[in-house]
Amino acid sequence: MTREELTQHIIGKFGGRVIHLEAGKYDPLFEIKAEDIVDICRQLKEDPYLSFDYLANLGGVDTTEHFEVVYNLASVFKKLRVDLKVILPYDRAEIDSVIEVWPSANWYERELWELYGINVRNHPNLTRFLLPDDWDQGYPMRKDWDAPDFIRMPER
Amino acid sequence: MTLRTEEFVVNMGPHHPSTHGVCRLLLTLDGERVKKVEPIIGYLHRAIEKICENRTYPQCIPILDRFEYVTAMSCNYVFSLAAERLAQIEVPERAEYLRVIMLELNRIASHLLFYGVTAMDIGAYTPFLYGLRERELIIDLFEMTCGQRLTYNYIRIGGVSQDIPPEFAPKCREAVRIIGEKMSDYEGLLNENPIWLARTKGIGILKPEDAIAWGVSGPVLRASGVKHDLRRDDPYSIYDRFDFDIPVQPNGDTFDRYIQRLDEIRESLKIITQALDGLEGLEDNTIKAKVSPNFKPPAGEVYARIENSRGELGVYVISDGSKKPLRVKARGGSYNQLQALPLMCHDVMVADLVAIFATLDVIMPEVDR
Amino acid sequence: MNGFSDFLELHPLFSWLFDLLKSTGLQDPWLHLVHYGALSVMMFGLLALIALFLVWWERKIAGHIQQRFGPMRHGWHGWYQTVMDAIKLLQKEDVKIALRDKPVFFWAPIVCFVAAFCVYVVMPFGENLIVADLNIGILYVLAITTWTVISLLMAGWGSNNKYALLGGMRSAAQIVSYEVPMALSILTPILFVSSLSMNDIVLSQSGPIYNWFIFRLPFGPIAFLTFIVAGTAEANRTPFDIPEAEQELVSGYNVEYSGMKFAMFFLAEFVNMFTIAAVAVTIFFGGWNGFEFLPSWLWFLGKTLLIVLLLMLFRWTYPRLRVDQLMVFAWKFLVPLTFANLIIAGLFKHLGWYW
Repeated sequence: MTREELTQHIIGKFGGRVIHLEAGKYDPLFEIKAEDIVDICRQLKEDPYLSFDYLANLGGVDTTEHFEVVYNLASVFKKLRVDLKVILPYDRAEIDSVIEVWPSANWYERELWELYGINVRNHPNLTRFLLPDDWDQGYPMRKDWDAPDFIRMPER
Repeated sequence: MTLRTEEFVVNMGPHHPSTHGVCRLLLTLDGERVKKVEPIIGYLHRAIEKICENRTYPQCIPILDRFEYVTAMSCNYVFSLAAERLAQIEVPERAEYLRVIMLELNRIASHLLFYGVTAMDIGAYTPFLYGLRERELIIDLFEMTCGQRLTYNYIRIGGVSQDIPPEFAPKCREAVRIIGEKMSDYEGLLNENPIWLARTKGIGILKPEDAIAWGVSGPVLRASGVKHDLRRDDPYSIYDRFDFDIPVQPNGDTFDRYIQRLDEIRESLKIITQALDGLEGLEDNTIKAKVSPNFKPPAGEVYARIENSRGELGVYVISDGSKKPLRVKARGGSYNQLQALPLMCHDVMVADLVAIFATLDVIMPEVDR
Repeated sequence: MNGFSDFLELHPLFSWLFDLLKSTGLQDPWLHLVHYGALSVMMFGLLALIALFLVWWERKIAGHIQQRFGPMRHGWHGWYQTVMDAIKLLQKEDVKIALRDKPVFFWAPIVCFVAAFCVYVVMPFGENLIVADLNIGILYVLAITTWTVISLLMAGWGSNNKYALLGGMRSAAQIVSYEVPMALSILTPILFVSSLSMNDIVLSQSGPIYNWFIFRLPFGPIAFLTFIVAGTAEANRTPFDIPEAEQELVSGYNVEYSGMKFAMFFLAEFVNMFTIAAVAVTIFFGGWNGFEFLPSWLWFLGKTLLIVLLLMLFRWTYPRLRVDQLMVFAWKFLVPLTFANLIIAGLFKHLGWYW
């Protein structure tokens, strides 16, 4: 199915739980609430027309107003792609793990926790990952993180 | 009376000749059998994503070169693809043909390196020199075009940075011919060798449903029997104009992963020949669309992905309308393959672990960023 | 022609030296002590030179198989590269781990080195060119080559390192397992010589070329093949070089050694390789027998170097066997094969179907 058909199918399936965002310039982009994420992901995986069985990417974003968690999903056999986004306010930065839907989310969520400080519930192993074992200088990927040797590029 | 044995923990440390790059594997061994493998990464974390948030779009390209330096052309290309999709830039045709040629040459160079290094890890020292001898031909072609041997900064937003010199096409055809002939040498050296077969057949089987669930892509996925190639299923650039097959292997063991990459070299040679033929028929000589130095794409998000020699190389770029990207999340195929390593190493011996790790073709900078 | 090769024969030289020594008036046992001591020192010097030559040769062969040149800088085609390497290793710091087992760590390379060199006391380098023609010659060779196991275990244990210990134990298992097929394949020609002395073995192959044991079908070639395979495993060479597999255990039992101690292990490996080739030549290829236009020691050296070339070609062509595949190969394939070969050879001797 084409991208428009995919968008319509997903809107028809989930109704008001997904919001189609115009910011997605290539694949359809949907915004989802944090509580719904595991359920919607499972339904997207088990739907026979969609079968999104492949989690391509899971990343965190810090716009300076809130956190976002972005999921890029793919369907290997139906050749479809969709992006999901969850918006988290700064004071409630918690999300459920999607490990039970796709095991490959394991290391992605660990990295999310380590670099952004977003707590991932139900994750089996939330430990130090990319940063050194004795790191105590905060969450580096946040926009307000600063360090003495982090020099921003001067505007030209 | 049963013998009381104890498991002991051995560290296959970051400095090791056969973990490609700096990867630490914590092995729990029971005698010679591996009971548990835990990869510990982060030794090569350079905060590429944070740096990219602080650079303009054209400045991000040389930084992403270092993201996966064995196939640096792919890294350049995937970011340019993301920027072009954000700003709806149309790339001239000559640039697309040049991009395809460079991407496929880079894929062949990477697979030749894989061939040499895998053979060396399993104990045959000579194929390493043979693979690198052919790789030199390709690297010379790159040096002729953009002056660099490893990190190219060649594929830019809107096209490529320089045109190929006139001696490129005949030399490229010569290289393609030589590599095609030598493929039979490579296969003859190892494919039917009983020692090689005993070391690689039936070792480290990865089932297709496990592969998809764990996000494995690229030659490892195709060696498990899943016919999924982004050049065919999610076409980018002008790959839909070329005629090539997607090889798959039935079993998903170490031997199949090795054969898969050799087959892919053959397909890439076909693509390069067709691209060189297509290049000759073009009249328009523009190699780059007009892109302003203060490149400001409109606000939006895009996930650009290509088929790299290691799997799916993807970049998720969020733009907020300014000169610098708001977020660049890069994803390489080796990340998922390293995650799936414990699946394949169930109750194997240490020597098998080395063989499995070699055929996964993991490049650590891609994992650590 | 005969005069030329007789001129180059070395045993008159040694007889003259012995007479010279006798004429100084020394009595037994001092005479024999000094005589054998001098011969041993000369043999040691010769072997050191051979080891140096073999290291250079291996690097050149490896280079040419891999389509590159190998050492080229030091001398014509790098002939004194090994001398330079030895000087470099001599001036390296002798790194000693603090927690090592001191006596074991110290004596391991020495035991390995001595074991490698002791074998040559019975090796027939040419006509009447043996240091000591023991009447248990070949049994002595088999016994001394097993000494290497102790030294590898000592090296693995004394290094206080899990990798080294794993390497040491693997190599002990490997060498002990491959002793059995090696001994059995040596026994097969011995059946026909009816003597264990090395000189007798060579003399029984004198005459026309079909007297060499390798040409005595059908058990000759089989015995030679099993001997070469078992010998490659004894010498820890690829495809059996698990103990020192760089890619797996980072050099195995000698990972913690540096400088001259490492050089001792390294040279001992090459001398072991020469031993296997020399024993193969003595038993299967007629030792120093050959046409009359060349002296006998030149024949011996030439044949041995050809077998060494074969061993080197193995190393640079084949991948490595896994340790359990190695054991299965030794016990489930080579041992029954060599037993069967021995029985067939015995049958042939009993029925008189040999010459």
